[in-house]
Amino acid sequence: MTWTDEELVARSIGGDSDSFNELVLRWERPIYALAYRTIGREEDARDVCQETFLRAFRALPGFRGQAKFSSWLYRIALNLCRDWVRRERRTPVVQPPEDVDLMELAAAAEPSESIEDLVARKDLARVVERAMALLPEEQRTAIVLKEYHGLTFQEIAELVGCPLSTVKTRLYQGLTVLRRELAKNNKATL
Amino acid sequence: MTTSLCGYPGDRDEALVTYLYDDGGADAGERALFDAHVESCARCRDDLDALRGVRTQLARWSPPEPKFGMAAPQSAIRSPQSVWWREVPAWAQVAAALLFVGISAGIANLDVRYDQGGLSVRTGWWRSPARDARPGGQGSLNVVQGPAGVAQGSPMTRGSAVAPGTASSASAPWRADLAALERQLRTEFRSTQTSAAASAQPQPARTIGDAEVIRRVRALLDESEKRQQSELALRVAEVMREVNAQRQADLVKIDRTLGTVQNNLGVEVLKNRQQLNQMNLLYRASQRQ
Repeated sequence: MTWTDEELVARSIGGDSDSFNELVLRWERPIYALAYRTIGREEDARDVCQETFLRAFRALPGFRGQAKFSSWLYRIALNLCRDWVRRERRTPVVQPPEDVDLMELAAAAEPSESIEDLVARKDLARVVERAMALLPEEQRTAIVLKEYHGLTFQEIAELVGCPLSTVKTRLYQGLTVLRRELAKNNKATL
Repeated sequence: MTTSLCGYPGDRDEALVTYLYDDGGADAGERALFDAHVESCARCRDDLDALRGVRTQLARWSPPEPKFGMAAPQSAIRSPQSVWWREVPAWAQVAAALLFVGISAGIANLDVRYDQGGLSVRTGWWRSPARDARPGGQGSLNVVQGPAGVAQGSPMTRGSAVAPGTASSASAPWRADLAALERQLRTEFRSTQTSAAASAQPQPARTIGDAEVIRRVRALLDESEKRQQSELALRVAEVMREVNAQRQADLVKIDRTLGTVQNNLGVEVLKNRQQLNQMNLLYRASQRQ
């Protein structure tokens, strides 16, 4: 039997820890994806994700079901992301380990897709990621929630606490910036 | 790129976004209006196409696979029903029960004697030296020894085994208390034995669980190692690609520099030749003179 989020919440409040585990398993990936796309760092996104569930667990007895559980969870995650963005903004650094023959390792690796394809795919993703990083936080959040989490305009407005028209304007402005940046990149690669 | 003007009467940006996503929140009338507008407005059509292209590109961006198996920590999630004493081992509970009995006996000044008159249990709350001197007096409970030398049954519950002279004490309030205490102790001992037997059973299961945990940890380690190798390989490929790109750029730069040097050299040679020609002319002129 599949429980709804709200049923699982009720059971968790009643002391059923398995129900909360079920909620975590159900929502950890979307929350992680939201955090990653907002702050752009894998490790920090994971921390934000864990902190989100910890805070949700602590605040669970106070959850009265005025909003959907997912919206409530998104709000916690977004607040944590906002805190992170305000606190620090660093660029990712990749450091190869010492005493490792990289060429040998590259030759020995057997990935499911070829390295060239993988690099090409990663490059494309990186272009989008870089373009997204240029957006102001509000525009990026609106795009992430709309594009990757499929929230309605109304849900986004309630989540971020702004009028519906503002959400649409942020989306339009963000998409326009992305259009310009992606076009620049397309020209550069030609 | 089109530069044509758009004559949409409403908020064009909002309308474009609403039209682009079409999440059902738009008013049907507004949508029909914008639909008709798009048919006739080349600028809006272009913008819509471009924004759709942006959405297609956005779909390529997926976050890296999360490397956690997150689940609510059991230490953090404890059901309200669970209480601390359930986690106390059975042996500790037994020890606590025995201690409790001992302390109770001490407080009640319980005197247990086994002599020719049988097993004698006395409480000394109100006893006087005179009463103490009288075996089987008030506050005492005597049990007749059985033929095998073993006390028959519990001294506190077997009414028939009570020695003469203790009939008046049978109705005393402490007797009911002691009987209740005995029942409680019996229940606790029984439950302790049951729990001890139950806790002894799952030992093999725990061993299996440990083996399974070790197997999973190894699998996780293997997986992590493979992932790291793959990431390193990817990084190497990226570095090689960057090095190649840099090399190409350097070659182009060198080529250009060489061209410039050659040009400069050619110009210098030309100048030298001109100077030589001039010198030759001057020399010849001087020769003629």
